[in-house]
Amino acid sequence: MKNAPLLKIEDLRTYFYSKSKQAFIRSVDGVSLEIARGETLGVVGESGSGKSITALSVMGLVGGGPGVISGKIGFKTEKTRKNLLQDLDDHVKLAWDNGKIMGVDKDVVGWEKNAGRVMSGVRGKEIAMIFQNPKASLNPFTTVGSQITEAIQLHTDIKDPLQARERAIHWLSRVKIDTPRLRIDNYPYGLSGGMCQRAMIAMALACEPSLLIADEPTTGLDATIQSKITDLLAELKSELGVTTMLISHDISVISRLSDSVAVMYGGTVVEYGPARDILASTLESKHPYTSALLESIPTERHIKAKEHLRAIEGDVLDTVNIPAGCRFYARCNRVTDTIREKCERHEPDLREISPGHRARCWLYFD
Amino acid sequence: MKLSSMRPIALVLSRELVITALLLTGVSFVVFVILYFSPGDPFSVLLEGQMPTEEARAGVREAMGAAKAWYVQYLSWLVNMLQGNFGTSIRTGLPVAGELIRTGLSTLMLTIGSMLVTLMLAVPIALYSAVRGTNRVSWTLTMFAYVVSALPVFWLGYIVIYFFTHKLGLFPMAFGFSGVERGFGWLYFLLPVFVLGVGNGTISEVIRFLREEMSRVMAEDYIRTARAKGASVWKHSFKEGLLIPVTEIIASKIPFILGGAVIVEEVFSWPGMGRMALQAAKDRDFPVIMGIAILAAVFVRMGSLFQSVVYVMVNPRASKE
Repeated sequence: MKNAPLLKIEDLRTYFYSKSKQAFIRSVDGVSLEIARGETLGVVGESGSGKSITALSVMGLVGGGPGVISGKIGFKTEKTRKNLLQDLDDHVKLAWDNGKIMGVDKDVVGWEKNAGRVMSGVRGKEIAMIFQNPKASLNPFTTVGSQITEAIQLHTDIKDPLQARERAIHWLSRVKIDTPRLRIDNYPYGLSGGMCQRAMIAMALACEPSLLIADEPTTGLDATIQSKITDLLAELKSELGVTTMLISHDISVISRLSDSVAVMYGGTVVEYGPARDILASTLESKHPYTSALLESIPTERHIKAKEHLRAIEGDVLDTVNIPAGCRFYARCNRVTDTIREKCERHEPDLREISPGHRARCWLYFD
Repeated sequence: MKLSSMRPIALVLSRELVITALLLTGVSFVVFVILYFSPGDPFSVLLEGQMPTEEARAGVREAMGAAKAWYVQYLSWLVNMLQGNFGTSIRTGLPVAGELIRTGLSTLMLTIGSMLVTLMLAVPIALYSAVRGTNRVSWTLTMFAYVVSALPVFWLGYIVIYFFTHKLGLFPMAFGFSGVERGFGWLYFLLPVFVLGVGNGTISEVIRFLREEMSRVMAEDYIRTARAKGASVWKHSFKEGLLIPVTEIIASKIPFILGGAVIVEEVFSWPGMGRMALQAAKDRDFPVIMGIAILAAVFVRMGSLFQSVVYVMVNPRASKE
């Protein structure tokens, strides 16, 4: 991590209130991450671990209350430098009890107005986002081309419709859509899922954003299309050097594209560091959750030996009732008797276990 | 608009027109049969004030061509109707076709105007509560709309006349086209249009439908994309969240509004087809009743035709089917 961070998330908390359970769902519970310029950060974890909510919090697109309640999101380019959660504290009052947030009083309307002001000029222009389910993510009532030209006209100096159209065609060919001059006038229903995702990528990159957030970009596509989209993202990464936050539960996609990796579990980052350290198959100094996650991927060895895959025992953490100790304790298979009491009672913090490599586990420190 | 995009619209139009033709034939047949077998003699109006003998009655029937079998009468009516001849009113002796145009136009104005009033009240409330969810303001507005929907139109009509015309002396009770000729006639339309728009009992339903549709669309993935790229959410949600639901509402509420128009026209002495229908029903003026039934069916079909055309124009997928 040589470059200065482009995006710096500090202690982000995003909660939702469940009426039926009369309690908070702590979807993102104190996440800190950094993305250096030109780097791809892979965020991996099971469904419900808070990866997507983290991304949506950065974009200010969290729906439902109370949403983002605390934290700082520093965003710094050559031109701008701002905290995307500026003045959040003025709109939120938190009631703490025993180190846990028990009550939130948030002026949602006021905050949304404020966030709209802060985020205008950032959304789409500085930070662009692509989603899973590309077919549903494009507006079915207008052509792909008009959706891309709209973004170009909104965020670049190109205002002339014909020039914007040429620019859109350029980007469509850039994302390897064949016959872009024909495809530009297609409606999303006339395109396959893979094509729609390519069009989404073209739309996101057409405004040359500083940061691209890809939220499960290959989920919901056929396996062959998945690998093609991954290829495309890898190519664009090497050609354009776009800083990317890549969210996926698919470790193969993450390992293909990421420079550094954050493993999320139960709303927190449990391990964070360079991709080669975290995804290496041999290294033992890993968070038990990460090792379990890696063991659940089928490899050549599994297939040849017709071995069963090792699934992670138990269920994803219930983010309504978070236990006092380590969030992974109930499913952990590496608890030793010496640390058991600490695991059960106290939550470990994210500490460096080797240069640039941090983990949240009592195994590595005391 | 390009020629290629006109073709699906033409296709829809022709399909709708065929359906309309079949429907109108069906409506006219059913109405005719019901009228024919209902008790009462349509020609007694001609012999009013006399003590008609049986011979006199038979003479009138013979003269009007009503002595023939019912299906012969129906077929001759149908053939004439296809040529634009709706017969003559038994009471007034005037051609029904001309009367239908005159009253139909004035009812059409009342219907469209009150539809606009309903939408002007319902759309902002629906959009506000779709975006903001249930809060004190949206709750109050929605409750207000529910109460208003429950007001019977005849009651509201008389209250409005009492208040504005008798108390304030604002809108004189001279409605109709004579006012238009005097230059500020649109003022006279306001009261009945307002009363029918507010009192037709559909506002709360319209609000609920539009709110649900808009909330559903707001949660769609492509609206999230629009937000993420910094584009206008309204621009992207307009077609599916507002335009299509509004045309659906217009098409489905026309029968209700026509029903309400009968009362409003009577209350405000509005020279429309509702009043004419009432009079014709009292007189058993068969040709007029038939004509009005056909015209009302045409209005209803026009609504659904409008809906289909808008849907095909808006939805690229529908035009491919």
